Amino acid sequence: MPQYSLINSKMLSIKLHGEEVYAKRGSMIAYTGQVDFAPSSSGSEGLGGRAMRSVTGEQMSLMSARGTGEVLYAFYGLHVTLIQLSEETFFAESESLLAYDGRLRSGTQFMGSGGMQGMLRGAATGSGLFTTTLEGAGELAIVSDGDSFALDVTHERPIFVDPQAYIGHRGQLQSNIVTDVGWKSFVGQSSGESYQLKFTGLGTVYIQAAERGGNR
Amino acid sequence: MTRFRLESSRLLEVELRNERVMTRAGAMVAYDGQIKFEKSILGGEGLFGALKRRVGGEGFDLMTTSGTGRVYIAQNAAEILLVPLQNEKIFIESSSLLAFDDGMRSNTVFAGLRGASSGQGLFTTTVEGTGNVAAISDGTAIVLEVTPSEPLFVDPDAFIGFKGNIRQEFIFDVNWKTMIGQSSGESYQLKFTGQGIVYIQPSERR
Amino acid sequence: MILNAQTLPANGNINPYAFCIDVTGEMLIRKGKMIAYYGALRFEALGAGPFEVLVNEVLNSPLHARNFVVVTGRGKLILGDRGHNLASYDLEDGSLVVRSENVLGFQPTLACRESIIPGYLTLLGTGSFVASSNGPVHFLEPPVKVDEDALLGWADMPSPSYRYDYNYVRGALRTVGALVKGWGTGEEKQLDFSGNGTVLIQASERGVQR
Repeated sequence: MPQYSLINSKMLSIKLHGEEVYAKRGSMIAYTGQVDFAPSSSGSEGLGGRAMRSVTGEQMSLMSARGTGEVLYAFYGLHVTLIQLSEETFFAESESLLAYDGRLRSGTQFMGSGGMQGMLRGAATGSGLFTTTLEGAGELAIVSDGDSFALDVTHERPIFVDPQAYIGHRGQLQSNIVTDVGWKSFVGQSSGESYQLKFTGLGTVYIQAAERGGNR
Repeated sequence: MTRFRLESSRLLEVELRNERVMTRAGAMVAYDGQIKFEKSILGGEGLFGALKRRVGGEGFDLMTTSGTGRVYIAQNAAEILLVPLQNEKIFIESSSLLAFDDGMRSNTVFAGLRGASSGQGLFTTTVEGTGNVAAISDGTAIVLEVTPSEPLFVDPDAFIGFKGNIRQEFIFDVNWKTMIGQSSGESYQLKFTGQGIVYIQPSERR
Repeated sequence: MILNAQTLPANGNINPYAFCIDVTGEMLIRKGKMIAYYGALRFEALGAGPFEVLVNEVLNSPLHARNFVVVTGRGKLILGDRGHNLASYDLEDGSLVVRSENVLGFQPTLACRESIIPGYLTLLGTGSFVASSNGPVHFLEPPVKVDEDALLGWADMPSPSYRYDYNYVRGALRTVGALVKGWGTGEEKQLDFSGNGTVLIQASERGVQR
């Protein structure tokens, strides 16, 4: 079983004894031992996930590392958080996923409305989010701009999240796209989403203290 | 008074109980409860207000956030500096302002001509009254005391704000950042004298 | 916590991102990294007037001399660099090759030379220096392979060489072409370190684009 540990808030170490791990392309910063690297387009994904990705053009640019040794990962100085899973599913905003291994089954989920049409539109316009689902028992690492923060969602208190600050979620949660004119429409951002993600149910949502793609 | 709480050094939680808080537009990352967002204007209304905003180009639009619930605010993963005010006034670089309690008076003043190479920082915002002010800092903010016997010199790009009985001067010292080929950075320093507190960030960038 | 000229640390970190130097003699400081100071300090360009001798001995490089100033006087000087982590390091009759922009200040007992490796400078001798890094610095012992983007420097050891990962590229070309590029992702080439010594790495040379 690969051993994950944080060297510091921005660096992840994974020790391998013959196993394989999948990590974000471009995130390997150093390694010792005998490790082979190869590009991987889908990690441990099933056929359905790969089909969905090719339809929408959504790439999961991964790199697999296999062998015996220690591999260090970091990505643009982003913060790294380790998440432990025990027979559950974690949804990670695709760009935020740093590393995981074969103990978890990966897939794709589109968080948006409008079915297939909505997904294609979403992929083109950026309104909607692709998440990578990781299922099983094991661990994974995510990256965030600044430390990630976990917000609990309860039945009495649903949560509204800026999609550009959304990192991931777990638990029994439903997500909906909510459009609220008051949210950002007046700022005049060309890129800014004018929608929020609403989470209801019981679970945890992870957010970062910044918006992807900038609000500078 | 609303409750300002640092959930982490980069995430501010404001708890509202049928109250309002002024926040920088676009700084909201999440919320729960019944919250309404409305556009607001920093620098006051009127012709002068419009002129200030046009000349400044700093884009510090404000939102009035009101209702009951918890609002989470952050900006560019910057660290957050909380300054509680007790019937005091804080002068703060407009681009460093993140949020402040409703019920405090705010105004934006044109701080005068600065170095020609300065691309920003022409505006200083004042927030006055009793309540909480939150500012952003690139890296953990440093709080420094100014006393009559020990004035403080500060790089303008690192300056966040000050409060107290302080006088701010511009020192055009050729030696500070002189030199040929310096593409960025002002060629002046800020000098603070008097009695009060100055807030700085460990970064020369906004 | 409110600090002042007396309570600021003398040659120590104020927080992970700011370092305070107790200036009592001469110190070479990188331009633009001085955040604030108390006291009576003077900042002079190198190669002008009384500091000509420093250029020949201490910072013998026109390229780097332009980026540093000599600080003299007495006071507490605070350094910061883009919100990056700062720390001070001591060299004892040592030799360290380090990425230029990450060196923020050093004592003139150290000699600073232009390294033949572009983007790096060499510090030699005995003395302290202050360096910044994106995230805390991590030390590695050879043999180790390092991605260039994460390399900060290396001490007391021979220079690294490039190592090309042919397996990686072969694997790339075999995979469905549309999804993958061959060369150019940066992972097919690393810096290979061997021998005795210490390698210094940081999370990334580049930060998030803002």
